Amino acid sequence: MFSFTKKQVIVDISGVEIGGQPGRFPTVLFGGVFFKGKPDFTTAEQHLKNMFGLGEKTGVFCVPDFFIRKEEYVEPIVDFIKHKLPKKYPFSIDIVDPTIKLQVLPVLAEHNLLTRTIYNSIHIGITDEERSVLKQYTPHTAIVVAFNPKDKSPDGKIEVLENGAHLTDIGLLKLSSQLGIKNVIVDTAALAPGENSGAAIAAIPVVKEEYGLPAGCAIHNVVEKSSWLKDFASARKTVDVSSNVNITLFGGDFAIFGPIENAEFVIPTIAWQDILVSEYTENYFGVEPIDFHPRRKFF
Amino acid sequence: MKIETCVIGSYPVFPDTSVLMDGYFRQADTFSWEPWITTAVSDMVSAGIDIVSDGQTRDPFIQLFTRKLNGCRVRDRTEIIGKIAYDGPITVDDQLFVKSFLPKTAKLKGVLTGPFTLMRSCVDSYYSDEKQIAFDFAQALHKEAEKVQGVVDMISIDEPFFSNELPDYAIELIGTITKNISCPTVLHACGDVSRIVSDFIDMPVDVLSHEFKASPQLFDAFKEFSSSKQMCLGAVRSDDARVEPVKEIVNHVQRGVDVFGDKLIQISPDCGQRLLPRKVAFDKLTNLVQAGDIVNG
Repeated sequence: MFSFTKKQVIVDISGVEIGGQPGRFPTVLFGGVFFKGKPDFTTAEQHLKNMFGLGEKTGVFCVPDFFIRKEEYVEPIVDFIKHKLPKKYPFSIDIVDPTIKLQVLPVLAEHNLLTRTIYNSIHIGITDEERSVLKQYTPHTAIVVAFNPKDKSPDGKIEVLENGAHLTDIGLLKLSSQLGIKNVIVDTAALAPGENSGAAIAAIPVVKEEYGLPAGCAIHNVVEKSSWLKDFASARKTVDVSSNVNITLFGGDFAIFGPIENAEFVIPTIAWQDILVSEYTENYFGVEPIDFHPRRKFF
Repeated sequence: MKIETCVIGSYPVFPDTSVLMDGYFRQADTFSWEPWITTAVSDMVSAGIDIVSDGQTRDPFIQLFTRKLNGCRVRDRTEIIGKIAYDGPITVDDQLFVKSFLPKTAKLKGVLTGPFTLMRSCVDSYYSDEKQIAFDFAQALHKEAEKVQGVVDMISIDEPFFSNELPDYAIELIGTITKNISCPTVLHACGDVSRIVSDFIDMPVDVLSHEFKASPQLFDAFKEFSSSKQMCLGAVRSDDARVEPVKEIVNHVQRGVDVFGDKLIQISPDCGQRLLPRKVAFDKLTNLVQAGDIVNG
């Protein structure tokens, strides 16, 4: 278990705190809200209720991560966020398509949601248009993905944060700052099995020691990609859920754990790990858990 | 003998990061650089260049090598954190790939960043002995040269830092790389090397390559010495986006012929073209080829 010599940044995202020395705050869990085709908001609302309920019961912070795959779903999904999420509660917007990224930011601004938005994500693929729109409609918080196709090791991830690995004109951290992003959290970019997938975990303490920034990843993606696990179908869910444990044990601050449907498995598992880490880090390093930490619920 | 046209190394083709990110989001197994190598080489071939490189599109010329050497850690800059040692082929796969589609009429130049330039560009946290760092880089580059010599038509060692500072061990250093290498070897040193021409003519390589266009005083400097070295003449600038007219290049090359006679065997840009806009780089190569045709008659 870790205690970092670098002063740790604690990011307050609309009331949800993330970062700090391991054991202080619970691991923040991002549950993916995916829609196959037209958004089914009734089901999504049930999943959100379940996730928030489990979060409250265990003391783990949970953040919904909304995937938007089509331009016509931008308005209804943002409207759903505005009206169905608890007031002031943070959420993340997870968009791959650069065109939709450009479209969603002004809509979030129009609904006064940018202070609650976690922009997922800033990475080497950022376009000039995206930079321009981000400057105009700036979310308070962004996930910076430390993916470096030239070097998948923890050093490579530092390189892309520092100088963009010469794939962008400046490093992703400086870029985020120039765009006006107040809070940066670093996704250490989990890669496919066989592509140094473990480096995403190993990079977490490296990033925290180097910058003090909150760090985590979507390690579950590695499991999702595994063809090897096809031979062990009944174990897939267990492996998927338990893979997130690595993040907590390596001092990480957040896990993007995949479909929100897995919340009932992931949340108690990570709460348990948070308790484990906290017991040690308080006894050895003197890091006190916050009042609503899972360990407080345990006693 | 025909004066051949060639490039020095880098060419301004940069990877499409949206394609790379698409691979990341799909959790791709591999991230291929072949599309960008193909684009760079195809530009050189289309321009009519006789001796092409792979374009060095993967990385700036320092990281291209340090990323794959033991003892080096690439973060913001390259840090030396252990003993420098060869850890397997660095450029060989890319050269083999270029060979797979290069027209039979074109030749391929393998490019190694020189050991002195590598040493000066890294942050040392291990040796505290600059000379030893340079020689360990040279040993590693020699192993790369051994691997690549059977694939390429010649190997060029790129030592831009020699123009600022020529160490007293420079000849031995370059010889460490070229020893027992069977293909022709080139030493490229851009910058104004007119003060140290006498040192260059003793270098253990077959061809000397310098930036005669930006530093025309080199003509007079070389006139003062008798040399058996073959020459590659920098004939268009790499630090200026102005595309030199063909006639201007012809006059410049003719001056080279007057000084070097039949020892002038290649004409090229002054240096790598990485910092130029792609169209400018291409137009410069096209004009270089046209000028070469005129000079060759």
